[in-house]
Amino acid sequence: MEDAAKAAIEAVLKVGAKFADVRIENSTTTIIELSDGVTKRSLASRLKGAGIRAFIDGAWAFGQATDMTPKGMRETGESVARLALATRSRVAKRFEIDGPSFQDKVRLKVKKPVQDITFEDKIAFAKMIDDQARDFDGRVHNTRTVYGDLWTELYIANSLGTSVHLENTLPTIVSITTAKDGANRQRGYKLVSTRGGFEELEMERPQHIGEESAKLAVDLLSSIVAKGGTYDVVLDPVLNGVMIHEAFGHASEADNWPAHTTILEDKVGKMVGPEHLNLTDDPTLPGMRGSFEYDWEGTKTRKRTLVKDGFLTELLHSLETSVLLDMESNGAARAQSFMYPPLPRMSNTFMEPGDWNADELISDTNEGLLLCGFNYGYTDPSKGQFMFQANYGYLIENGELTKIVRDVSMAGQILGVLAKIDAIGKDFSLESGTCEKSGQAVPEMAGGPHARIREIPVGGG
Amino acid sequence: MGRTLGSEKFLWEVDELDQRLLEIGEMVVKRAEELGANQAEAYVAASRSFTIDVESNAIKSASEKRDAGCGVRSVVKKGGIGFAYVTTIQDEDLFEAAAKSVKLAKVSVPDPDFVTLPSYSGNYPTVTNLFDPAIKRLSSEEAAELIMRTVDATNEAVDAEQTAVEAQLNTFAGTVAIVNSLGISGSVEAASMFINSSPTIKDNNDQTSSYEFQVSRNLKSIDPEWVGSTAGRNAVNNLGGRTIEGGDMPVILTPLVVRSIIGGGFGGAINAEEIQYGRSYISDALGESIASEKLSIMDDSHIAGGIGSRPFDAEGVPTQRTQILHGGVLKNILHNSYSANKDHVENTGNASRPSYSGLPSISPSNLVIDPGKGTLDDLVSEIKKGILFMYTGDRPNMTTGDLSAMVMEGQYIKDGSIEHSVKNTLVGINMRDLLQRVHRVGADVRVTSTAVTPSIVVESARVTSG
Repeated sequence: MEDAAKAAIEAVLKVGAKFADVRIENSTTTIIELSDGVTKRSLASRLKGAGIRAFIDGAWAFGQATDMTPKGMRETGESVARLALATRSRVAKRFEIDGPSFQDKVRLKVKKPVQDITFEDKIAFAKMIDDQARDFDGRVHNTRTVYGDLWTELYIANSLGTSVHLENTLPTIVSITTAKDGANRQRGYKLVSTRGGFEELEMERPQHIGEESAKLAVDLLSSIVAKGGTYDVVLDPVLNGVMIHEAFGHASEADNWPAHTTILEDKVGKMVGPEHLNLTDDPTLPGMRGSFEYDWEGTKTRKRTLVKDGFLTELLHSLETSVLLDMESNGAARAQSFMYPPLPRMSNTFMEPGDWNADELISDTNEGLLLCGFNYGYTDPSKGQFMFQANYGYLIENGELTKIVRDVSMAGQILGVLAKIDAIGKDFSLESGTCEKSGQAVPEMAGGPHARIREIPVGGG
Repeated sequence: MGRTLGSEKFLWEVDELDQRLLEIGEMVVKRAEELGANQAEAYVAASRSFTIDVESNAIKSASEKRDAGCGVRSVVKKGGIGFAYVTTIQDEDLFEAAAKSVKLAKVSVPDPDFVTLPSYSGNYPTVTNLFDPAIKRLSSEEAAELIMRTVDATNEAVDAEQTAVEAQLNTFAGTVAIVNSLGISGSVEAASMFINSSPTIKDNNDQTSSYEFQVSRNLKSIDPEWVGSTAGRNAVNNLGGRTIEGGDMPVILTPLVVRSIIGGGFGGAINAEEIQYGRSYISDALGESIASEKLSIMDDSHIAGGIGSRPFDAEGVPTQRTQILHGGVLKNILHNSYSANKDHVENTGNASRPSYSGLPSISPSNLVIDPGKGTLDDLVSEIKKGILFMYTGDRPNMTTGDLSAMVMEGQYIKDGSIEHSVKNTLVGINMRDLLQRVHRVGADVRVTSTAVTPSIVVESARVTSG
């Protein structure tokens, strides 16, 4: 692998580009999907190839190669470098890529490597979860269970001298249950995804995830649609994570600065929220789906304090943005696979806990909503606008939880909503997710404590 | 003269690739059969994609991707199905994929509703204008020229303190071959091109953005000036966003919103497999009136040069034109071979997959909404108080049909004219109500990737703003 990368880097530089990097990936995945007890999808795949970048004077070019012989890598390297040279005259600003270089070999320590688990055992596990959901209640109408694992071996090298070998494994179990009562149909969705071996799925929660999603689907049969309006809302840790991810995380990705596409552009070092607000992105947490030791440019990663006491202190950087903004690199550049160039992305993103008991937060909120779980969310950092949707929630009436509600959407302005966070809980948890940006999906986690937002528009029927 | 020579060379290359992919498919199917598959299918694809990205008004990067890979589906005698894919077309990797698919099939829990892979041996329908050689031949210089014209047109349409345009051009040319044990053998070459412009503008302490795009299978129909000036004009119109007093009011969905809400949110609900599982908000409704009689929708895979057009679907089954809604009545739903066999009905040829990397699911080809009368201005002029809904990223809950969509771009209408843009505003309605409440369909048809649609007016939806 080192030889193949070296051949490509030398070829890029020889053509005249000033910086080159290479990612060589060899990944395998297994996906087992069952529905109503039978196999709907048994999938095995191998992703094998190299992504090569060339840079000169502010112009980037990217190409991919699946022929990883030194000859194949040289040819792709040359063609990528020529592409960079062809566009260099049209760039906005000339600069150079510089930064620290790293040499390392990281193996992920696991007890039961997913590659050693037979297809039979993976199917048996998925079948157990699917049966569990179906057997939960007579109103369960359809069950769907997805087992997935991704094992990745990645080698990253660049012309600054970086040479890093990485390994990663992400096992996942998802349970989706549809419950039916007359014409009323509701869906419960639960997933656990972690970093490690198959043993991670032998823990308490993943072993009972079928019941968890079935219970939610059945509970939702008695749910009502919340009436649209402006509410005081308490977010559970899952939804708080989604809000932080959508309402703030994306806007703090530093590639927005050279592009002038974030409403945080003039806010670095300034106050962006109340002083009890602390937001962190930390890829160094052990066993988390969003964790990694080095990013996809081979930069050693570390914890980032995005917001400290209400002030925007740090951004998420790639090699390029740390040069352009003259800030320290922090290893946030990630790619979905060798087929894509890395971009600044979040890892495990969360709100730091405060000093409220979660129960007190609810009793202190006279009329409002407790919202839980998430369906999805998205944002446009250039407008500063975001929306996210809770999976379910409860009305808060006279400080008590009453009726269950479903599919509640919230919309807001990034800076506006942070100012409305008036109380933050002591509890803490993270939920796994997948984040999409520029057509690339990467694994991440998000969370925090329970937190309250005053007067936010909530959509309903 | 030089041009003729070039095109001959080009055609020769294409024939070669078609043939090569079909041969690979046959080899992989044979290997899977030797390893114990009763039926096998190979989906082989090779493509070249070229992209230029513009950031802050200048070219930032270019990329060229050559992708080739193969997906193998194997069925064993007991009925188990396995699938494997690989991102290369080298023999050792193809054989590994074939072996893995058979191994997975052997240990899978057989689906009693699975009958067989499809078979077909006739000719495929002729679908024209899927491949424009000019797209494949576009040089990086010409591509750079086109995208910079888009950026210039955007800037010309904006008069603000600061404008930063992001833009992208992408060309794609690829060949797909599908082969199975039951006689299916088809290959098709297609090309497409996409340009977009997204300006972020700042003016008087206000910041906003917009987005416009065009996608086509014909290079000549790409209009960088239209994309740029529309994006620029819309961004300017988005300045000064305000919240409004909520309530129930009419909402005009422009084609980009119809694409998300009807194209995605209704197109996904007429998926036969989802209906069979009871996971769609449309169930047991075939032959019933489920929408306003103003609404007629066709799934048409034969539109010349249509983005979703195809002679055969992702299982190699010939495609057709399928009436979905006529005068509000649900006439048909969309099938692939599995769902059609399960219901003992005709396969509509709507199997789809992302590429060689996925199993066939079901999706519309081109969802065509019959136009009515009137321009967008006419529709606006007929509304006393309402919302012109121009962009959203939202989709409904497919099981319940509940929709709560953020107005990412939209205008407040008062007394027949546009007052100001809106912010922090959501539109809430159930899809079943939305379909029934379409009381007006415009004539302003636009191709938005796989939905071909005019604007439509929903008589009343819940609007929340604050």
